[in-house]
Amino acid sequence: MASSRNSQIFKFLCIPAIILILAGLSCRRQDSDEVETSVTLGASESAGEPVQGDWVIRRLQAEPKTLNSITARDMYERIVNEYVYDSLIDRSKKTLELQPVLAESYTISDDRLEYTFKLRRDIRFHDGAPMTARDVEFTFKRIKDPTVDAAHLRHYYKDIESIEVIDDYTVKFKCTEPYWLALEWAGGFPVMPRHIFEKGDFNNHPNGRHPIGTGPYRFVKWDTGREIVLERNDDYWGEKSYPDRIVFKIVVDETAALQLFKRGELDVCVRLTPEQWVRQTKGPRFEQNAYKLSYDEFGYYYIGWNMRRPYFADKRVRRAMTHLIDREGILKNIRYGLGKIVTGNTYINGPVYDHSIEPWPYDPSEARRLLEEAGWVDHDGDGVRDKGGVPFSFEFLISAHSVFAEQLATIMQEDFKQVGIEMSIRQFEWATFEQQVHDRKFDATTLAWSVPVEGDPYQTWHSSQAEKGSNYVGFVNAEADKIMEEGRREFDAETRRAMYRKLHAILHEEQPYTFLFCPKELIVVDRRFENVKAYNYRLALEPKEWYVPKERQKYGRETDAS
Amino acid sequence: MRAYIIRRLLLAIPTLLGITAVTFLIIQLAPGNPAAMASRLGGEGLTDDAMSREIVEQTKKLYGLDKPIPVQYALWLKRLVTFDFGTSYKDHRTVLEKILERLPVSLQLSLTSIFLVYLFAVPIGVYSSTHQYSLSDNAITVFLFILYSLPNFWVATLLIMFLGGGDFLNVFPIYGLVSDNYEQLAFWGRVGDRLWHLVLPITCLTYGGLASISRFGRVGMLEAIRQDYVRTARAKGVSEKVVIFKHAFRNSIIPIVTLLAALLPAMLGGSVIVESIFSIPGMGQLAFESILARDYPVIMGVTTISALLTLIGILLADICYALVDPRISLE
Repeated sequence: MASSRNSQIFKFLCIPAIILILAGLSCRRQDSDEVETSVTLGASESAGEPVQGDWVIRRLQAEPKTLNSITARDMYERIVNEYVYDSLIDRSKKTLELQPVLAESYTISDDRLEYTFKLRRDIRFHDGAPMTARDVEFTFKRIKDPTVDAAHLRHYYKDIESIEVIDDYTVKFKCTEPYWLALEWAGGFPVMPRHIFEKGDFNNHPNGRHPIGTGPYRFVKWDTGREIVLERNDDYWGEKSYPDRIVFKIVVDETAALQLFKRGELDVCVRLTPEQWVRQTKGPRFEQNAYKLSYDEFGYYYIGWNMRRPYFADKRVRRAMTHLIDREGILKNIRYGLGKIVTGNTYINGPVYDHSIEPWPYDPSEARRLLEEAGWVDHDGDGVRDKGGVPFSFEFLISAHSVFAEQLATIMQEDFKQVGIEMSIRQFEWATFEQQVHDRKFDATTLAWSVPVEGDPYQTWHSSQAEKGSNYVGFVNAEADKIMEEGRREFDAETRRAMYRKLHAILHEEQPYTFLFCPKELIVVDRRFENVKAYNYRLALEPKEWYVPKERQKYGRETDAS
Repeated sequence: MRAYIIRRLLLAIPTLLGITAVTFLIIQLAPGNPAAMASRLGGEGLTDDAMSREIVEQTKKLYGLDKPIPVQYALWLKRLVTFDFGTSYKDHRTVLEKILERLPVSLQLSLTSIFLVYLFAVPIGVYSSTHQYSLSDNAITVFLFILYSLPNFWVATLLIMFLGGGDFLNVFPIYGLVSDNYEQLAFWGRVGDRLWHLVLPITCLTYGGLASISRFGRVGMLEAIRQDYVRTARAKGVSEKVVIFKHAFRNSIIPIVTLLAALLPAMLGGSVIVESIFSIPGMGQLAFESILARDYPVIMGVTTISALLTLIGILLADICYALVDPRISLE
């Protein structure tokens, strides 16, 4: 789905009710040793042939607002609709290559401006109606339609100008500019049934709460505030799925979620807190009943220095700030060491990330030297460094409710004081905080980005995005600009990656951010399942391929939970 | 009495108007803009300024935010007359539908809890006032103060960890208000199932109110007991039971009746934490989420409904005054 195609998305640090899109996409694998595609859990090999049956009960941290794939803006919708809707093409979780799904094949014109998809002829929606080019056209036109509440998607489809239905099973997209991600966007949106949605108000269509798609699972019911139930679509043309049902239980509170898991009412619990992971998921009884699984989250935490401010305009000062922040210690003390320190802007296990770059070490004396070199000396003897009459005194903006940001801020405040830098902390509720950052009304802040396995850094780092785009810190660098402009038109993956690696090196040198770390995603899964894996791709878990040997199955096809 | 009620109901209209006008203004003035948020949530996009501004403008138009605030308010009022609160920005469902889905859940929790608060608080208050400074009074005082200072989320967490299965006792369910097999149960099975689910959340919602109301009860009663008419009654040789329950009690109860009016809206709004820990889809969560998301129509809908409930609560409290104290006349 297209909302995941953008490379970097604001990630909400704390309140699960809002958005957190863990998007992992667009990874093009060429050499087999480059990307590790999956982590398999300690599933026993002796489980025998996979069999269908049983349910998977998952936790949703918040209720999706709607299951209309076009107007939905949250990741929770995607977690559910991933099973209900298909797109023309998609990445294979196993190989990370693009593969046709609803499309049979596709061709790209030599100028890379026209994308023609031939559709499969045997696809039917869950209500029995055949899926044709008209449905693809209808969905695309809804994305482009200004009366449809899909502003978040329209940004990404700006360059895909039009769609043309050539015959019932062929569509052609036309773009205004060549772009290496255009294929994924053109073929990446979920195809919605025209015959259902064309009648009535699209934004408030009743089927927004009762999706009808072409996917491997069909919608059964949505019990508001409680659960969403899907059942296997046995007429599905593609790969076989094993669980009879996938049930999503809405559990907001993380303590309650782990408790429900221990009671056996949840089979999968994601986003455990480091504390729960270390202290509350141990003991022989727990280990007998559950797998513990962790992988590097598709994202990273950072501190952004607003480069428009006098103190942070100088790269020596930004470097000094990084030297003053004990990232190892913070990671160890705040997050039980569950994460990895990063040095750049791409996914740590992705093909672009350059592991040869060493993180700047924690080194206060080097920081002092750099500050003095940059002219920040305590001239007036008041204990605070100054330059040209400006004292080094800034405000650190954080979002309220983010416990991590609060702890980080307190540590920074103490450490900065030691070297004569005054930092005050200001907390805002999320919407206000976001507005402040968006309006560039901050000196420094901490946030996290979600990143795909391989994406386009343009919107976060290009100078054209410094005033209104996601380049909040105001990073302007001619060499970096050139890399990003050319990168968008570079269709050879290896060349493009080499270019983006250069960008990583520039960012490391310039330190517009102090890159903090990539956190671990912490998951527990009931042990009755076999073939449990975490893929290096999008939502990482793929419960539809989990199976339970007959004698261990817990729920029957029709019976309800006991 | 009827004239009084009608007059009060009429007076409620300007009050409600005032409340909604102020709320409307405040939420619009608060930083954060739903149209910009809607287009931003998917990331800033690979876009130029003009394009993103255009998309934000389109979204504003879609949400009806392109008009000046007074006009927006007038339009909102116009729709309100027909009980149309508009549609949510988030899912485009009507606000009324969203509220009606959750209001019964919240009322079920808060009314039960208020009932229990009064059921226990009044006798406790009477008991500790008639046994002032005795060991048992002091013990109750200490105990109630401890209860009062325990934060809700902490108690709720402890309850689910120790009584909700997992590593300790598995006594109570902790998810929602009914079991998964609720539909298959017989009538009494359903009642039992629902009550069983209510135990923990109701406990969390009740103990705080219980602690404060019983203190108010105690103070009110102590004051009443010192009045001349009580001394007179005692002097006449009326039995202690009659003195306490007939003469003193009715006079002492007025302040805690007043509190009833304040308790209902507080419980509707203040149960966010309990609702999220026990996965109960109530009004608190709806209100909280809509504020965070700047979902104006839902915020307005929730505010109007709770304002209405508060006004009704106050009216009921006033009517109760007349019932408990014949000296108060509502004419």
